[in-house]
Amino acid sequence: MIDWNTIIKEHGPGVWQTAYRLLGNDADAADCFQETFVSALRFSRRQRVRNFSALLARLATARAIDQLRRRFRRVQPTTDFDDCIGVESESPCPQEQAAQQELVAKVRQLIGELPPQEAQVFCLRYLNDMSYRQIAEQLSISTNSAGVLLHRARARLRESLKLSAQELE
Amino acid sequence: MVEDKDILERAAEVLKNEEIPPGPPQEVVEATISKLAEASEQPSTIQIGSRIRIRERLKAMNSLNKVAAAAVLLIVAGYAVGRLSAPRPPDIKELRAALEPAIRQDLLNELNQRLQASYVHLRDDLDRQYRQDMTRAAMQILAASNTVTNERLAALIESINEAQTQDRQWFAAALERVETNRRRDSTQLGNALATFVVETGDELQRTKRDVARALEDVLLDNPAPDLLRDDSDQE
Repeated sequence: MIDWNTIIKEHGPGVWQTAYRLLGNDADAADCFQETFVSALRFSRRQRVRNFSALLARLATARAIDQLRRRFRRVQPTTDFDDCIGVESESPCPQEQAAQQELVAKVRQLIGELPPQEAQVFCLRYLNDMSYRQIAEQLSISTNSAGVLLHRARARLRESLKLSAQELE
Repeated sequence: MVEDKDILERAAEVLKNEEIPPGPPQEVVEATISKLAEASEQPSTIQIGSRIRIRERLKAMNSLNKVAAAAVLLIVAGYAVGRLSAPRPPDIKELRAALEPAIRQDLLNELNQRLQASYVHLRDDLDRQYRQDMTRAAMQILAASNTVTNERLAALIESINEAQTQDRQWFAAALERVETNRRRDSTQLGNALATFVVETGDELQRTKRDVARALEDVLLDNPAPDLLRDDSDQE
């Protein structure tokens, strides 16, 4: 019998960080948090979980990417309080802070536009610091496939960022 | 290429290092726990551990095929009957007109709830952030004022020391000048006194000689026998 209270207490902050980092606001992060643990519950019914930390990181990343994809697929812009919530006062330079916010928003959008598996591999590698082997285990793919997916994701992101930079210029 | 790589690396780094508020909030944790409890009560769709034999599976597939064929026939028949008996397709506009107010109301309610929740959260966040900023600013101002005060005090002490040093130097110079003047005056006075003494001695001798000469002259003009005699006797 799995003690979910303990698991939430132990791994909740990590899941929250993963979700919030990708989604950037409390409401979406809260939804993703709940969906992650419900998915983990369903997963634990199907097979035995050996590493809850990695599983939850993978599930949180996947759910967050799903939300990102839904968010950027919407046609109508919604009322957005994200920018207000994300206002930070400690940045030494407002211009730099604005540029960073813009860059973060752009990266989130681009991750949402990537194919799901590539986005997942990229996030697990760059945001959760997982090794190729861990990523391969979590996604049930070979290490080589993980490398290929990461390479493709990097190429797509790089190209998109380059285009965005050119448009800004 | 290097620049592109830098953009990607920088973007990932910025995203990774973005400041994340501590969480999850307690209400999210509680909602998750209740959702997990709710999901735990639902029966699992996949039965693990019950092994199905091939023969039973084939039997099940046979009966399943029959059921599927019957279902297909029923569906086809139903579709044909329905197609023939259906008066006309439903009016999409009417359906939309009937459903739209309810959907709008639901959306409005949901949006209001989310906005209210966001507002409360935003207000709390801003309040917390404002307090943190104020505390930080106060600490910075205090530290800066301490630094400035210390600098000013150091400058004041230095200027006082400098003024005292200048005063001492000036006082020592004045004393030295007074001493020099005193020595010069003493020397001059000594010299003047010596000159005076010498001149006074000379003058006395001269006066003596003049007096003696005058007395001699007087005696020669009016001799005084007794006095002259006595003097001659004595000689």
